[in-house]
Amino acid sequence: MIPLSGASATIGADQLRGIEIATEEVNAKGGVLGQPLKVIVEDSGGRPPSALDAARKLVTVNNVPLVIGEYSSGNTLPIGQYLVQQKRIHLNPASTSGLLRDLGEGHFSLVGLDHVTTKFAADDIMAQGWRKAVIIAPNNAFGQGVIEQFTKHFKAAGGQVLASIAYPEGQTTYRRELQQLAQAKPDVFVYSAYSREGAVINREASELGLNETPWYGYLLSMSTADSDPKTKQGQYGLEVNYIGPNGGAYQDAYKKKYGEDFRTTWNGYTYDAVKIAAAAINKAGSTDPAAIGAALKELGKGYEGATGQITFDANRMRDSQPYLKMKVDNGKLVLR
Amino acid sequence: MFEFLIHVSTMACLFGLLALSLNLQVGFAGLVNFGHIALFGCGTYGAAIAFANQWGPLAGLLLGGAAAALLALAFARLGRNLGADYWGIATLSIAEILRTFATNEQWLTGGAQGIHGLPMLFGSLPTPWGPLATLALCAVLLAACWALCQRLVNGRYGLALKLLREEPQLASSLGYDLAALRRTPLVISGLIAAVAGFLFAHYATFVGPDQLYSAETFLIWSMLIVGGLGNNLGAVAGAFLMQFLLAYVPFVKDALGLPSEFVAAMRLTLVGGGLLAFLLWRTQGLIPERIGGRHA
Repeated sequence: MIPLSGASATIGADQLRGIEIATEEVNAKGGVLGQPLKVIVEDSGGRPPSALDAARKLVTVNNVPLVIGEYSSGNTLPIGQYLVQQKRIHLNPASTSGLLRDLGEGHFSLVGLDHVTTKFAADDIMAQGWRKAVIIAPNNAFGQGVIEQFTKHFKAAGGQVLASIAYPEGQTTYRRELQQLAQAKPDVFVYSAYSREGAVINREASELGLNETPWYGYLLSMSTADSDPKTKQGQYGLEVNYIGPNGGAYQDAYKKKYGEDFRTTWNGYTYDAVKIAAAAINKAGSTDPAAIGAALKELGKGYEGATGQITFDANRMRDSQPYLKMKVDNGKLVLR
Repeated sequence: MFEFLIHVSTMACLFGLLALSLNLQVGFAGLVNFGHIALFGCGTYGAAIAFANQWGPLAGLLLGGAAAALLALAFARLGRNLGADYWGIATLSIAEILRTFATNEQWLTGGAQGIHGLPMLFGSLPTPWGPLATLALCAVLLAACWALCQRLVNGRYGLALKLLREEPQLASSLGYDLAALRRTPLVISGLIAAVAGFLFAHYATFVGPDQLYSAETFLIWSMLIVGGLGNNLGAVAGAFLMQFLLAYVPFVKDALGLPSEFVAAMRLTLVGGGLLAFLLWRTQGLIPERIGGRHA
């Protein structure tokens, strides 16, 4: 179940690509339990009522043992709760809200929730010797989660978050927010932005002379994609490595099938979701949800996915992801 | 299949409630409300805030109702000084302000991440009895609200509302208190919308600001336009038709073996195209307003 219409339709379409490639690969290798794997793809419309329609159709009409979905936490949470209650398996391939942790038996997250990523960022920043930070991120479920979790981890690591701002998306200027943060005189600006807002923030920060202080991009490629190379020169940051050591073959398959590079970072997770689901069904030897859940837990002790090694913690959340420490040099992201 | 039918019917009842309540404002009193979803939001957040503070569902219902009534009074108060179209824009802005408020006041609303884990109504009953009981409750409430709306709009009071819609100055010259005439339908429809919101919150088990985008208001509008503005039966029929069409599009895809993108495209076409078709060729909707006791 993915958003094929609504505000996140571009991401949903890319999630679909991952599903298609995975399904073809599984079926080329004999499918599951000796039969072809069938994946029913439903549109969540990006809105909760349609997402509920889709989840209920899959459970009550198609009677599927396992559902993969959605993208936004606002839809993943209610359908996860429904699926857990119906004793089905739910694989989350995209949402990072920390609330997913409490959904209960049957729910698995294939993407590190925001507390994992922010802890990595907090430790990385401390290692640079920057002790006083300010943070700015978009005012949505993602951004609010990042600010809250980063502040917690940075404090725990001995740092200080002097100020934080959740900015409204789509503004033409962020000068007021930037000046407000600058007044705190931080060692480092931590920021996360979608590419369009990132371009504005980076331009205005350099106009205000704030880029003399270090900048740290949380998901650096997303934050700097549309920025002028001059305004982002020298920024540090982290990147979720959506291609693990074994992901090369998948990357090639994607390029061959769709004739372009990855459109978003999310297709790899739905690819892994379908593959690990098929592996779990084969391992369980049945389509009984409880048996699939037990098999998933076994597989989750070290499954080699396209997005890197997948291991689950006690709450069935992916507990680590290969993160990359990056910096911007001459307009390009390079490892540091 | 049967369980899915129960689910779709439940959702249709909830949207039926919303369509009825918007119809009372737009269809009868001529109050062009573009911020209707905010009244629904009062109900969802009433339920969620009561849940988060462990006050119990009844308190949630009362809280949502009280908030919706206050908001409706605020809408009515605005209407005193603004023309109908300006008033519509003002309601849209207020709804957006409230959505922003819900996104930002994390201590109260959980912020953008919302509040989750609300208990299902009749969650302790085994399937299919739990969902059936929920459907029965929604259907009974829909019937009750339909009867209430029918009672309101038939008879002298309904005539006064229609006069307010058609000729406010004439209504004023006949001695009607226009402010009071606006206030009552707004508060009643606010309460109905809040009940729908409360039920939805406990049905979806999650409340967040993403449920309150203005696009949802316009979906309810399109239900009204398809069903028939100014006719309570039309409002409910439009809501059921739209909800069933949207929910059953995936089955057409399954039956014909079409790609899943078809569902997304078909849904957009149904809402947008359906709306356009009715606006062009059948402006009075499926079940037109009754004027003078006969179909016009």
